[in-house]
Amino acid sequence: MSCTVRIASPLQSYTAGAARVDGRGDTLAEVLGDLEQRFPGIRFRMIDEQGRIRPHMRLFVNTDEARDLTAAVHGGDTVHVICALSGG
Amino acid sequence: MTLSALERARYQRHLSLQEIGAAGQEKLKAARVVIVGAGGLGSPAALYLAAAGCGTLGLVDFDRVDVSNLQRQVLFDTAALEQMKAEAGRARLAALNPEIRVVSHALELKAANVRALLADYDLVVDGSDRLSTRYLVNDACVLLGRPLVSAAIHRFEGQVMTYVPGRGPCYRCLFPQASDGMVANCAEAGVLGVLPGVLGTLQATEAIKLITGVGTPLTGRLLTYDALELRFNEFRVERRRDCAVCGDAPTITEPRDREAPSASAAPDGVRRLTPQALRALLAAGATAPPLIDVRERWEYDTGHLPGAVNIPMSELPQRIAEIPRASQPVFICRSGGRSMRACTMALKSGVATPANLEGGLLGWAADVDPTLPVA
Repeated sequence: MSCTVRIASPLQSYTAGAARVDGRGDTLAEVLGDLEQRFPGIRFRMIDEQGRIRPHMRLFVNTDEARDLTAAVHGGDTVHVICALSGG
Repeated sequence: MTLSALERARYQRHLSLQEIGAAGQEKLKAARVVIVGAGGLGSPAALYLAAAGCGTLGLVDFDRVDVSNLQRQVLFDTAALEQMKAEAGRARLAALNPEIRVVSHALELKAANVRALLADYDLVVDGSDRLSTRYLVNDACVLLGRPLVSAAIHRFEGQVMTYVPGRGPCYRCLFPQASDGMVANCAEAGVLGVLPGVLGTLQATEAIKLITGVGTPLTGRLLTYDALELRFNEFRVERRRDCAVCGDAPTITEPRDREAPSASAAPDGVRRLTPQALRALLAAGATAPPLIDVRERWEYDTGHLPGAVNIPMSELPQRIAEIPRASQPVFICRSGGRSMRACTMALKSGVATPANLEGGLLGWAADVDPTLPVA
C-alpha cells in the first residue's frame, strides 16, 4: 500500500529537505524499511538496535500513536514522524 | 479579587465576552503564572498574558539579550541589548501593563531551586531552549501538581501540549527520554522568526483558558504546526502507565538536573574526545585522524580546524563512502550535537570507532584556541 510520510524537521536532512515523502508498506516496519532504502540512515534515527522506537521519537499513523512497528498502514494513510524539539 | 475602574476600562473587551466577563477577569487578576525562558516562545506568551491582566507574571531566564535574539524575541528592543532578559522583560511588561506584578528570576533552573520557584505559581508556561530544562520543569510540575503548557520549535515547525495534573499525559509520557545534542537547537538549525510567535500565543491562549476555566484544554493531544505548509496536525497522546514521573510506579520522585546519557545519545563504538584530547591527537602528526566537519558550508567558511574536510550533515548520507572505514575519523560541528549524529550514521555505515568532538568548535575555542572564529 502506498502512504504519505511526514518527516520531522530534524530528520529532513535525510530526505533532501522534503517534509513529505511517499512510502510503501502494509505495516510501519515495512514503511520504515522502504524509507531506509531510499534515505539511508533515517531508520536508525527513529528505531534503536533492538527495534524499539527511540524515546525522543513518536510515530503516528494518522492521529493514533504507534507504540511498535507492527502497526498496520493502509493505503492513503499518513505516517507522522514526530521528534522532541528543544528550541524555544 | 475585584477590578478597579481603571482595570474595567482596560479589560473591557474581555468583560464583553460572556465566557470571561468580570468573573474570568478577576480569576486572571488573581492568577500567578511563571514563564520559563524569555525567548522566542516566552516573549509573545509574556506580552499577551501581561496584556490580558494576568495578575502575577514570573519570568525565568539567566541569559542576556543578544542582537541575534531580536529577529524573534519581541519582548526586547534594540535598547535592551546586553541586559538580563528577565529584567529587561520585566521592565517591558510593567510598561505594557502597570496593573500587574512582574517578577524577574534571573537564574538558571536547577533541581535544587525548581520546586521552590514553581511552587509560588499556579501555572507554568515552558518556552525553554533545552531538553534538560523541559524535563526538569515537567517533572517539577507533576510533583507539585501544577498545570504546564509546553511548546518547542525547530526551523519551520513547532509543537505544543498542555499537561493538567490528573487529567492526561505529561511531557515525559510523550517523549520518555531525550538529551540535548540529539536534536539541533535554534542556533544551529535556524528558526523562522515568526514561528515562536504562533506557538507562544497558543501557550498564552491555553494559560488563559485554564485560568478562566473556559474551553477545552490541549490535554491528551499534541498539536504540531508546519509554517511552510501552514498546516496544523493534532495527535492523540495517552498517559503512560509506565511513565517515570506520572506513571503508576514513578521512579522520579524529585527533580533531577540531567538525563543519564542514553545508549542512543552515545552509541557503543563512538569515542568521545574532549578538545584537549583532540589537540593531543593532532599533535601526534602522522597518525592524526581525518577531521570531518559536518557543519553547513557557510559555517565552515567562517572558520575551521586546519585540514578539516567539510561534509555537511545534509550531504553525509550520500558522501559517507568518502570516509575510509578504518580511518577512525573525528566528526566536528559547532557544539557537538550534529557531529554525534554523524558518528551514529558513520557507525551504521561500517566506519570503525568514529569519534565525536565533545562541545564542538565552541568547546575548542573555549579550551584550546580562542582565536578560532566559530559561526
